[in-house]
Amino acid sequence: MFRLGIDKVMFVLTTASLLSLILLDFVSLQPNRILPGTGHSIVSSVGWGYALLIILPLLFNLFLSFSFRKASSIQRYSFQLLMLILVFLFMPMLLAIFATQHISETQIHARTGLGSAFWVLLFLTSLSLIELKQKLNLSRLKICFLIILITFSWLFFYITAQLDTLAIVREYTARSVQFQQAFRVHLYLVCAAVMSSIVLSTLLVMLMRRHHVFEKAIFPLLNFIQTIPSLALFGLLIAPLGYLAANSEWLQSINVGGIGWAPAMIALIAYSLLPMVRNTYVALNEVDASVIDAAKGMGMSPLEVFLQVRLPLAMPIILEGIRITTIQAIGLTAVAALIGAGGLGNFIFQGLGQAAMDMVLLGALPILFMALMADLFFSTLMSLFSHQDKTSRESQ
Amino acid sequence: MKPNAMIELNKVSKHYDGTIAVDSVDLSIKQGDFCVLVGTSGCGKSTTLRMINRLISHTKGQIMIEGQEIMSFDPQSLRRRIGYAIQNTGLFPHWDVARNIGTVPKLLGWPKHKIQARIEELLELLNLPYSSFAHKYPSELSGGQAQRVGVARALAGDPDILLMDEPFGALDPITRESLQQELLRIQQQIHKTIVFVTHDMDEALKLANHIVVMDQGRIVQQATPYELLLNPANSFVSQLLGGEDRGLKQAGLMHVADFMKTNRTMTPSDHQLAQIKPDDSLRLALSVMLWHQQEQLIVMDDNHCVGEISLQQIIQAKPYADHHG
Repeated sequence: MFRLGIDKVMFVLTTASLLSLILLDFVSLQPNRILPGTGHSIVSSVGWGYALLIILPLLFNLFLSFSFRKASSIQRYSFQLLMLILVFLFMPMLLAIFATQHISETQIHARTGLGSAFWVLLFLTSLSLIELKQKLNLSRLKICFLIILITFSWLFFYITAQLDTLAIVREYTARSVQFQQAFRVHLYLVCAAVMSSIVLSTLLVMLMRRHHVFEKAIFPLLNFIQTIPSLALFGLLIAPLGYLAANSEWLQSINVGGIGWAPAMIALIAYSLLPMVRNTYVALNEVDASVIDAAKGMGMSPLEVFLQVRLPLAMPIILEGIRITTIQAIGLTAVAALIGAGGLGNFIFQGLGQAAMDMVLLGALPILFMALMADLFFSTLMSLFSHQDKTSRESQ
Repeated sequence: MKPNAMIELNKVSKHYDGTIAVDSVDLSIKQGDFCVLVGTSGCGKSTTLRMINRLISHTKGQIMIEGQEIMSFDPQSLRRRIGYAIQNTGLFPHWDVARNIGTVPKLLGWPKHKIQARIEELLELLNLPYSSFAHKYPSELSGGQAQRVGVARALAGDPDILLMDEPFGALDPITRESLQQELLRIQQQIHKTIVFVTHDMDEALKLANHIVVMDQGRIVQQATPYELLLNPANSFVSQLLGGEDRGLKQAGLMHVADFMKTNRTMTPSDHQLAQIKPDDSLRLALSVMLWHQQEQLIVMDDNHCVGEISLQQIIQAKPYADHHG
């Protein structure tokens, strides 16, 4: 029987991508940082010839979202994936071509702003990629490879100086030293906060497992801290820390004060404790009682039961807590810039103050990238520990 | 103290703040015995079992293993020489089958090749082919397979004693039946001392040669399955035995081979009679008679006739006093 099937998700995503390319501005040409630029659609920016590099793969994907005969769906999805990769690879190339066509070397302030069509396209193609990842059941390794491939294509155009006129690159070149410094500070703050939270929550959980009364005190306290708005908590710490620093030379010598890294770190740790302590405690307690009974009955010592059975079985949920905490800390550290802790938040707040969106992006995009990397790292780590999940996924 | 008692409980009690879970229990289990503790839930049978490997410590009395008080052992080394299998298998979900079985040998510090050989031997004993099961994870096994692995794991350290706490309780009747058969077969090969807890009297009658009926923390009666069926100590025991169903339960313990009329040759009219095997139970023979509406059955062993059994012979069958094992 001839039956026209349609893959609704891919159809909608691809149609929306094409519509956004037709209706919205792909890039804008700004004479300098402040003046608003003039918008260009994808065709008017690079001409039909190059525009087809992106439009054709999308059209092909649209075509492939209809299944005319019982062709192997795996083949169809693989083709769609290939087309998406092409779109991703051609995006920086089009920007480079636009720059060479519209901006001459003498216009040192002129810059290419990314238009709404560009962002919408990036968003929708990423969604399509996630959709195909699930349909094709791609392994994490293949996804990593894809991300590296796409990152390298951007890096290639960046290193060969073809993206120099891109607004965000202009912002970066003007502040590369500050950027690297801010990136490092951001990373250090997050790592230090997460590490100390791991140590602290381990201690708290050990205490609660030993004496159950502490459970009644610790969870309400941590829950309470979580309800304080982050900005308020940063603010609340200024006065006591400032007082302490004023009265202690030692604290001054390690740069502790009402503002700076110290209150930021304290607040970050305070927020991190709840998800970490809760997940760790619940995970350790929820391990199947019969498994623990068997482990004891086999003759494992209490330490062996904990290290060989309880901890490994609780590990996926503990890691989930660390993952949530890390991603939360990456975001919160941006806010900590307001109390002088530094980090990528500096660019966001400066950019907001100067109404320079590209500078906001210079701060926001790396934060996004950092969060995604942390997520990828921890979910990979978690998958190493969960055999039950692995088998159930394979059987789907 | 009796000389060849493997496990000996002397006036053992367990108190939980105020309540008495096990009340002054005396029990002597011989080497090679298959002892089944049976009773309703909360009767103290599981507690009694778990006191033997010190998962629960007893409040009063003495528990001896091979004449030695168990409190004189370090609990870990005591447990490593006692096999332990439980209802929900308690398999470690993050370890594959081979590693699960190798748990106790590894704790005992056996060399690697010996552990490997033991795993292969046990998987073969439990009818689980090594190549297809050794590297599966517990979540990939069916209930029956998981419980086989649980039994294999309990046997891994080659313990003299095997404690089993309702190991087949969560299985469907067909799987349970086949695992019971298998356990009896294995016991004939390895002759361990088994202490087995169940609430299912049929299971107890089938497996045990020493049944201990418990109620409210006390031992109500202990006997062989036949004695128990013949002389239940009180109404509680006969109720557990199924009341009027006792006749059938008793018939289920007797084999056709012991009651049939032998030295019989086939006559042409025999082809109309239904057939039964000599090692089937009288209960099954009765059921076949009811089904075929015949009062006589031909006993066939490997396609040749070895005898016949009639309704009269079944009804008059006297249970042998001391048999089964």
